Amino acid sequence: MEDIFAQAQKLENDYLKSWREKGGKVLGYICVATPVEIIEAGGILPYRIRALGSSETELADAYLSRFNCAFCRSCLNLGLKGDYDFLDGMISSNGCDHLRGMVENWNYAGKLKFHHYLKVPHLTDPESMDFFAEDIKICKQAIEEHFDLTISDDQLWEKISAQKRIREKIQTIYQMRFQEEPAFYGWEVMSLYLFLSAVPSEVGESMLERVIEERKNYQIKDYRARLLFGGSATDEVSFIKEIETLGGVVVADTFCFGARAFWNRQPQSSSSDPCRELARIYLEELFCPRMFEEFSRRKELVLKMIEQAKVDGVVLFHNKFCDLHGVDNVQIKIALEKEGIPVLTLEKEYSARADLGRFKTRIQAFLERIGK
Amino acid sequence: MLKRTIQKGLFRRLVLQLRLVNIVPSSILNFFGRALSSLKIVSEEFQGGAGALFNPLVRDAGPVFSKLFSRWILGAWEAHQQGKKVILVPFNFPVDLIHAFDNAHPLTSEVLSTLAVINLSQQGEPYWDMAMALGLPDHLCSANTIELGSLLGSDDFYPDAIVSSGPGGCDANAKIHEFVANYLNIPHFFLPKVPENSGRGRRQYSVYFNKLVSQLEEFIGEELTEEKLGRVVERANRCTQLYWELFDLQKLSPSPVPNLFSLFIYGVRFTMWGTPEGVEALEALVEITKKYLNSPEYKNKVERARCLWAYTSYYYDLAGLFNWMEEQGYSHLGDGLDLFFPQEIDTTSREAMLEGIAESAWNMPMTRQVGAESMAGSWTEDVIWAARELRADCAIYCGHHSCKQTWSVISIMRREVMKRLGIPVLVLQGDAWIKKMTPISVIQQQIDEFVQNVIASKV
Repeated sequence: MEDIFAQAQKLENDYLKSWREKGGKVLGYICVATPVEIIEAGGILPYRIRALGSSETELADAYLSRFNCAFCRSCLNLGLKGDYDFLDGMISSNGCDHLRGMVENWNYAGKLKFHHYLKVPHLTDPESMDFFAEDIKICKQAIEEHFDLTISDDQLWEKISAQKRIREKIQTIYQMRFQEEPAFYGWEVMSLYLFLSAVPSEVGESMLERVIEERKNYQIKDYRARLLFGGSATDEVSFIKEIETLGGVVVADTFCFGARAFWNRQPQSSSSDPCRELARIYLEELFCPRMFEEFSRRKELVLKMIEQAKVDGVVLFHNKFCDLHGVDNVQIKIALEKEGIPVLTLEKEYSARADLGRFKTRIQAFLERIGK
Repeated sequence: MLKRTIQKGLFRRLVLQLRLVNIVPSSILNFFGRALSSLKIVSEEFQGGAGALFNPLVRDAGPVFSKLFSRWILGAWEAHQQGKKVILVPFNFPVDLIHAFDNAHPLTSEVLSTLAVINLSQQGEPYWDMAMALGLPDHLCSANTIELGSLLGSDDFYPDAIVSSGPGGCDANAKIHEFVANYLNIPHFFLPKVPENSGRGRRQYSVYFNKLVSQLEEFIGEELTEEKLGRVVERANRCTQLYWELFDLQKLSPSPVPNLFSLFIYGVRFTMWGTPEGVEALEALVEITKKYLNSPEYKNKVERARCLWAYTSYYYDLAGLFNWMEEQGYSHLGDGLDLFFPQEIDTTSREAMLEGIAESAWNMPMTRQVGAESMAGSWTEDVIWAARELRADCAIYCGHHSCKQTWSVISIMRREVMKRLGIPVLVLQGDAWIKKMTPISVIQQQIDEFVQNVIASKV
């Protein structure tokens, strides 16, 4: 698995390079509300935008402000520097105010070859589902027109099935994580997701099969506590790895660079329209605080994970200036504490090494508080 | 649960104060207001807040607005006593819709916070601290978190429901309203916006709007008839006419519109638009402005700079910003919250009126600009339009720390305004409702330096 972890830490991994060398196109996307099946059905590689712990923001700060989240500033910085020049375009969405600003500036700076804005409603009522299904069709048309291709319903259903298989395999990995003696560390699972969201789905699927096979008898025994991590968008593998050195193994997560990208996202056989089915999968199962009237479902997701993974304590992070998670984490904390589950909430700056020491101290204290 | 303090809530304190304002005749209110302000025997907070309304520069508009807000607040209290529903809304929601119900009264989070900052000792800080005590992040917006903090942590009056029109326009606004609704178990209704500027997005907005109307009718237990809507819409149309009359007066140089009128205009929009009190208040502003325009005093007025504020102003010291600017000869040409582009609504049918109110909701500040498909695009177009119409020498961005959406595209707006209009944009930083982040003296210094070094050399 070392090769996968190494590839996951590269912005442009070897599989992606090889894909491009063969003339393959790559489309970036920024949010887990984006149905990657549409991109893949067009024969294009979907690539989740990331910053991989890069804390440089000097170019981005000429556009975004210090009141915008550092994850978005770091991603934009990479874009402005040219590190994302391998992208053939971007599908953006209204995930949060910071992401919207990030993409507007990226586009304004003339660094996007193609840009389509997927408009994701904030509710899951029937009217919103109708709107989103139509918006997915518009997104599909935009890809078809720009890349001069046609995406058939059959191709879409095929990719919906492919993603279904992938999600089932990730689910297996999460079950292996939930075991009494977990088969994976939290940082490893985040690495797998980063790899998976930057390679062709065939490569990703075979990687998951290999990983499941390799780890089927693997057991992590020497840990102090079982933790669930959740909160704002982050891809800081090294941060989680450092925290896990304290002895708290992250057996579950609700990150969008993690469980939120696949949890419950399985097709049902009720729809004959693939775009409508994608709307259902991606909007109805979008466990993100940018959604409203959905708090009880978010809470239930966390509670279910806590139960399945036998979690001892929950650590909720939010990136500085992330209002969505900053508020939602407090709601979740209050709800979990009512159930007797210990919770620690932390506000952090994305990829600030200077923050690491104080976080380790606070998590160490949290482990002691929960008697571990 | 947060342990409730024995401290009286923000709303209850305002009711106590404004009850007095409501019964004192305007002339006496004006006399005492001016006397207290000029004698400087009251606290700096009063001088910068409520006292600022009675500054001679504001002419006789101070009592008009004190009474308008007192009617609005006491109206909510009376509605509650009579068993009517009090609906808490954010500033970007058209209150006229709630006023159309016989059995409901709107309260606006951001206006309550602003009134607390203007009227109460310690301003809104004790209530902000109550929200922080729950662990809520300090990068939330004080505009609504002051009021909502009071609901969370003090002995206050609870609304019967919350309507949120934040989703799509502002994460911070949307989330804090959701949090309070969940925490206090108050019914919560939504008017979200999808950032889609074609007809499809607008149609979807009407779908949401009509659904909200049905939900409110059911919750309030009252049908919104054509007659009820007609009453409110006719007054709202009169407010629209008066708004544009003031806008035209603002185009004159020097501007005859006192600086504080910027706040008063959207004060009406966010509280009493479509009510007799709202119409009277705007009529008073027009009348006062015209009277001043024809006075010898106006002929001697020196205008050194015409400043359009691009988003919000600062509210923790009205005297220190609005009146101080006027004393320096810096005209405040309104801010982004004045850019709600009201249009007269067709009154021929219930459907036409509801569609007209939906259109006004779509055009409310923030919703229209940063809730648009392009935050930078829509905001910039509005700022450029207003700056051009009002012949602004510059634009000033207040840089309220919580406005992540405007902060994320201010660089684009600044570049476009400079490129297309050739006017500079001053970018400030501070909390518009809490003084401890940037003192008003620092803001004044920055504006002064900007005008003297950048504007004066151009004019």
